[in-house]
Amino acid sequence: MSAKEIARGAEAIVYETRIAGIKVILKLRNPKAYRVAELDMQLRSSRTKKEAKIMSRALAHGIRAPMLVGVGRASICMEKVDGKLMKDVRISARTAASAGALLGALHNAGISHGDFTPANIIIEGSGRLCIIDFGLSEITSGPEEKALDILLMKRQLAKRLYGGFTRAYARTASGSAETLRRLEGIEERGRYQSRALE
Amino acid sequence: MLVLGVESSAHTFGVGVVDRGKVLANEKSMYGISTTGMVPRNVAQHHIQSANAVVSAALGKAGIDIRDVEGVGYTKGPGIGTCLQVGQIVAKTIASKLHVPIAPVNHAIGHIEIARSMSGLRDPLVLYVSGGNSQILKVLDHTNADRLHYSVLGETFDIGVGNMFDSFARHLGLDPAWGSSVEKVAANGRYIQMPYTVKGMDFSFTGLLTHSIKAIGSHPREDVCFSIRETAFSMLCEATERAMLMTSSKELCVCGGVAQSARLRWMLQSVASEHGARFGYAANEFNADNGAMIAFVAERMLNAAVRTALKDCTIEQRYRAERAEVFQ
Ligand SMILES: Nc1ncnc2c1ncn2[C@@H]1O[C@H](COP(=O)(O)OP(=O)(O)O)[C@@H](O)[C@H]1O
Ligand SMILES: [Mg+2]
Repeated sequence: MSAKEIARGAEAIVYETRIAGIKVILKLRNPKAYRVAELDMQLRSSRTKKEAKIMSRALAHGIRAPMLVGVGRASICMEKVDGKLMKDVRISARTAASAGALLGALHNAGISHGDFTPANIIIEGSGRLCIIDFGLSEITSGPEEKALDILLMKRQLAKRLYGGFTRAYARTASGSAETLRRLEGIEERGRYQSRALE
Repeated sequence: MLVLGVESSAHTFGVGVVDRGKVLANEKSMYGISTTGMVPRNVAQHHIQSANAVVSAALGKAGIDIRDVEGVGYTKGPGIGTCLQVGQIVAKTIASKLHVPIAPVNHAIGHIEIARSMSGLRDPLVLYVSGGNSQILKVLDHTNADRLHYSVLGETFDIGVGNMFDSFARHLGLDPAWGSSVEKVAANGRYIQMPYTVKGMDFSFTGLLTHSIKAIGSHPREDVCFSIRETAFSMLCEATERAMLMTSSKELCVCGGVAQSARLRWMLQSVASEHGARFGYAANEFNADNGAMIAFVAERMLNAAVRTALKDCTIEQRYRAERAEVFQ
């Protein structure tokens, strides 16, 4: 069985491989040499557990996410989703709106994604969006976490797309008015604005 | 240009002398932190009383006369208002007496730029860790080369990591009450579980502090000291590693008071090596608060023909690093 490394993040190395002929993604949280062993194991296993739990929760709410194949102590195995990363394509108005609806559905399921950017959304052949990478997700209903999800995507979207994204979000998410008000508050605080990467 | 710099943002009153980027003197007097913490009024009084002696010591060390000074710098902020004022007044007095130009310097930029220069790094991702501040910064936009500034990519949601150690040390009754004392006790400790809060490239220390203070009664002191340190430093390393990947940085620099910790430096070296990046830092005297870094940045500002009228030489307690222009 040959595994091809397809991504190396701050936390995990992601491989594509085959199990019984089926294409799967294997995400391994490797040990960090800088951390004491106890803390290292604790973080890797608790985050893996949480990632699997929240991914299952999203699936249970009918949200398109990779099917979970298996979970180890610090590794997760999931369906390989075919398609293009949203960050690698010219984003259409339709895709931006779908992303808004997707985020609304996640929030309705009590999930804040924590890293809701075009790098973590796969556009499947049908045009449907699949959300991946629940490594920083939380189960929450707090307006702050939700607003930060919106802000993260906003920073990455062209201005002309942002309106459609937000409108679709507002149509889908319950309690969106409060979340959007909180977003304004965060932006006024200035802190996040001055850090924007553009 | 022979520049004298005055630093007084917190408990240190420091005076440095720099000429063409070379440090000729770096003298200081420190208000001793005791178990009672810092009363701003007392610290400012200490600064007023030490000012003259520290200026003289710096001139003596540099082997110059006050009349040789061609420019002056002082810390504009961030810092404690009453403390900043002392340095401001000392610098303005010298500048007006000698009729030389004066430059208001951002304290964080002082630490960052002197560390960058001394470590020989060109365009590093910077972890700035001091008492009141903990930030991850980088110059992102080089296209507009005549107006460079740092961007803050991540930072503490609440207190600086240094203040977390100081306040924990006070609760343990350590003297002096700061991070290095905690690290001494930590030497033979074992890890106990602690709250760990990293959100992307941001982090928070109050949860860790509260939990550690509570744990003092029920666990061996060395275990709590060991665990608060390991947890805090691991949080900083994780956020830093994420920022390194996001900015594709091949250089990493640590600076500020907490950068004096050999353990933190070892951990960051490990993060850098993992990504084939160079790692660097300045000597301890420049990571502790000091006047040389202020003189260093002031000289660059004055060389770039930045001129500030005496009446515009203000202080600003919340002067953020990204607002200060950086000169090469
Ligand atoms: N289920 C999946 N199907 C297809 N590609 C995936 C899948 N999971 C991850 N990837 C690919 O691996 C990359 C990194 O995975 P991700 O879970 O986002 O980890 P991280 O960003 O923490 O490194 C993604 O950008 C994507 O290209
Ligand atoms: Mg990802």
